Amino acid sequence: MGRLQEEGSHPVHGFRLSTVSASRPTETGTTHEPTGLDLAMKLHYLQAVYIYSAETARDLTVRHVKGPLFSVFDQVPWITGRFRRHDSGRPYIKCNDCGTRFVESDCDLTVEEWLRVPDRSIDESLVYHQPVGPELAFSPLIYIQMTRFKCGGLALGFNWAHIIGDPFSLSHFFNLWTRAFAGEKIYCPKTSDLERSFQNPNSTGKKPDSIKRVNPVGDHWVAPNNFKMTTYSFNLTVNDIKSQSPANGNEFEILSGIIWKCIAKVRGESEPTVTITVIRSDPNGLNPRAVRNSQMISSVHVDFSVADANLEEIVKSIGDAKDERFRIDEIVDDVSDFIVYGAKLTFVDLSDVDFYEAVVMGRSPESVYCNVQGIGDDGAVVVLPAVKKEERVVTVTLPEEEMEKVKWEMKKCGLITLVN
Amino acid sequence: MSDFSSSVKLKYAKLGYQYLINHFLTLLLIPIITSISIKLLRMGPEEFINLLNSLHFDLLHVLCSCFLIIFVLTVYFMSKPRTVYLVDYSCYKPPVTCRVPFATFMEHSRLILKDNPKSVEFQMRILERSGLGEETCLPPAIHYIPPTPTMESARSEAQMVIFTAMDDLFKKTGLKPKDIDILIVNCSLFSPTPSLSAMIINKYKLRSNIKSFNLSGMGCSAGLISVDVARDLLQVHPNSNAVIVSTEIITPNYYQGNERAMLLPNCLFRMGAAAILLSNRRSDRWRAKYKLCHLVRTHRGAEDKSYYCVYEQEDKDGNIGINLSKDLMAIAGEALKSNITTIGPLVLPASEQLLFLISLIGRKIFNPKWKPYIPDFKMAFEHFCIHAGGRAVIDELQKNLQLSAEHVEASRMTLHRFGNTSSSSLWYELSYIEAKGKMKRGDRVWQIAFGSGFKCNSAVWKCNRSVKSSEGPWSDCIDRYPVFIPEVVKL
Repeated sequence: MGRLQEEGSHPVHGFRLSTVSASRPTETGTTHEPTGLDLAMKLHYLQAVYIYSAETARDLTVRHVKGPLFSVFDQVPWITGRFRRHDSGRPYIKCNDCGTRFVESDCDLTVEEWLRVPDRSIDESLVYHQPVGPELAFSPLIYIQMTRFKCGGLALGFNWAHIIGDPFSLSHFFNLWTRAFAGEKIYCPKTSDLERSFQNPNSTGKKPDSIKRVNPVGDHWVAPNNFKMTTYSFNLTVNDIKSQSPANGNEFEILSGIIWKCIAKVRGESEPTVTITVIRSDPNGLNPRAVRNSQMISSVHVDFSVADANLEEIVKSIGDAKDERFRIDEIVDDVSDFIVYGAKLTFVDLSDVDFYEAVVMGRSPESVYCNVQGIGDDGAVVVLPAVKKEERVVTVTLPEEEMEKVKWEMKKCGLITLVN
Repeated sequence: MSDFSSSVKLKYAKLGYQYLINHFLTLLLIPIITSISIKLLRMGPEEFINLLNSLHFDLLHVLCSCFLIIFVLTVYFMSKPRTVYLVDYSCYKPPVTCRVPFATFMEHSRLILKDNPKSVEFQMRILERSGLGEETCLPPAIHYIPPTPTMESARSEAQMVIFTAMDDLFKKTGLKPKDIDILIVNCSLFSPTPSLSAMIINKYKLRSNIKSFNLSGMGCSAGLISVDVARDLLQVHPNSNAVIVSTEIITPNYYQGNERAMLLPNCLFRMGAAAILLSNRRSDRWRAKYKLCHLVRTHRGAEDKSYYCVYEQEDKDGNIGINLSKDLMAIAGEALKSNITTIGPLVLPASEQLLFLISLIGRKIFNPKWKPYIPDFKMAFEHFCIHAGGRAVIDELQKNLQLSAEHVEASRMTLHRFGNTSSSSLWYELSYIEAKGKMKRGDRVWQIAFGSGFKCNSAVWKCNRSVKSSEGPWSDCIDRYPVFIPEVVKL
């Protein structure tokens, strides 16, 4: 559960749990084998929240939400399975139709009151977070929370084990739901094991920087942290970003450069942050869309001090990030535990994910939030699209003690305009 | 080789014996008719006319004889019981959103009974050997962790299953709600006020002079008890029809405790309902699917052992559940014996009855050690519908009645696809046989139901017209059946 849910008087309450599965039974003995890249993600969880206004969602009952899920799970039945381990220790999914957990809750605020808060990380309390384990065989991989606001609006929060897919897959999954809800026939092809692996003949044998081995966590898949992490989220316009750098560049790269510089300034010489991880959508755009880990994980290493460097140089280095997926696939073995997000300071570009195409009753969501749970100590920055095309939502997750200083630096740069 | 030839000889001897005894009267009549015809042919036509004249027929004699014959025929037809026809029936198919795969059931069980791993282990073992499949359904309220059985959700389950089955029945038979003369609802464990029959009358706006009955507490055999009540009522009311609704509402009866013997029903009982239209109208004779031939009810409640074997009680924590005793199978076997002793003479051909009589006399008088002769019921029926109470029940009956796997296929497959739907399971089984295209005109069906009390009720139907496989609960999955059901399913 999110941090806020432990308090007694939280506005989100009344959790009723049930299970949703697929409508057709899967053949006995079917399994799904995760790739190396999937296993690298196993200690991370995606949290996504879609909020719909009262006009859109007033008449949507639990049955309306659950019904189309059955059709979607028919297309992707393996995500309703449960993990087991082979004799070698390598986890695999037994496709036994066990289902995903569905949580119903209520919120005492209206959608408007909820969205008035500028720091969107409060959306994390609309997600029922539970890690996989300690009993793999009985841990759902997805938790779906349906929260009814006082005004009749609805929030659908997903807790999605990253091992099954990346944020693009999560968005695709939910878009399939919206289409099934609208009565369309949906189809999601089964991806063969070959389509999910990465072939890169130019292997140099160098260890990847973007992944870090952690102490064994056994069957309780929670990323270990030495620091207490906190999240801060803020909005800004693309113009705000572009105005920071005279050069023409991708706004994500410019934004990442600015924030990297701020964080490097805070961390100072004691922890020179010269390597970062950049996660973006695959430029080759694997088609057709399916549920899998297809995001490009690349690493940027610089030889200069970021805190003092020129923004253009930093942005250029980010542009030259090296794809490390093949190396990650190679290094991940059957039993070791790794983290990717936060192994090094990670920047995640989700600005081209089609979150706002999740149209229900002809209307897009009022707000979409997405973050990663289980980020390592080096922290992560996630850039999301906002309702307005020219805005972005930035979610920064860092150790608590660094956050205020980094916020101060970002305010100095002019990224954060509101006092929060 | 000699074994084979002797067994073939035995088979022919048996066939010869059966043919002789079953057609005894016909075989007796043939020589008599032959001898009379030969004698008549020998007599010339003149002698024949002389014979007739000597009988001294006059008008009075002829008229009195005619009146006597007409009188006897009238009395015969008036006192003959009205034939009860089963026009059609429909079974409820639960929506896929209510589906409960094994893995989901076990996971919920672990979460709800987290302080009782032994009970969870027990449920898992039961489920593995239960003979249920992955498509059985539970009502929405039971999908919650923990289940949320309120009266509201129970009523909503009742409305969902009963109204859907009845709408389907109306569509299939063209029956108008206002034409229903008799309504009988049986639902053992959910009995709200107003009754479920009142709920149906309210929904479909049935006539104010309808004869409605609501049977509750009578267990899984209540479906045939309803048919018995309908049959008796249709003797008294001419030109009427009766609608029977058989169901079991799961929502309020899901056991919430952790006593092992009481957790068993949770593993087996699933959602289901059936609506049946019976009629005694002559006009329905042509379109009715079946004709009711016999209905035999046996009650063993006089014995304490039978009375207590399926007993609803509170456990030590105050949770209400149904306690199934360990000698349930033995008691079921005895109840069955009782029932077939009564139904045997009504349905078995003379050859089997004679053999049984000889074996009975032999055991009583000559040697008690003789093996009791079990009549071959396969000669009396083409199809068997054994209540899908559980795998053990079907195994026991298959053994007792010496049935082949094909005969019990309908019961096993119904248990696999729909679980134990209590009183409506017999109708799902009948629907399976029809969907497989095996039901032909003249086929006889034997429905056997067991229920708390302990009761064994059986009904014999004769197929009135060949049934084409049509829309029903099996229409989308019949091609996958029969499936092989392993002894133990590894979860």
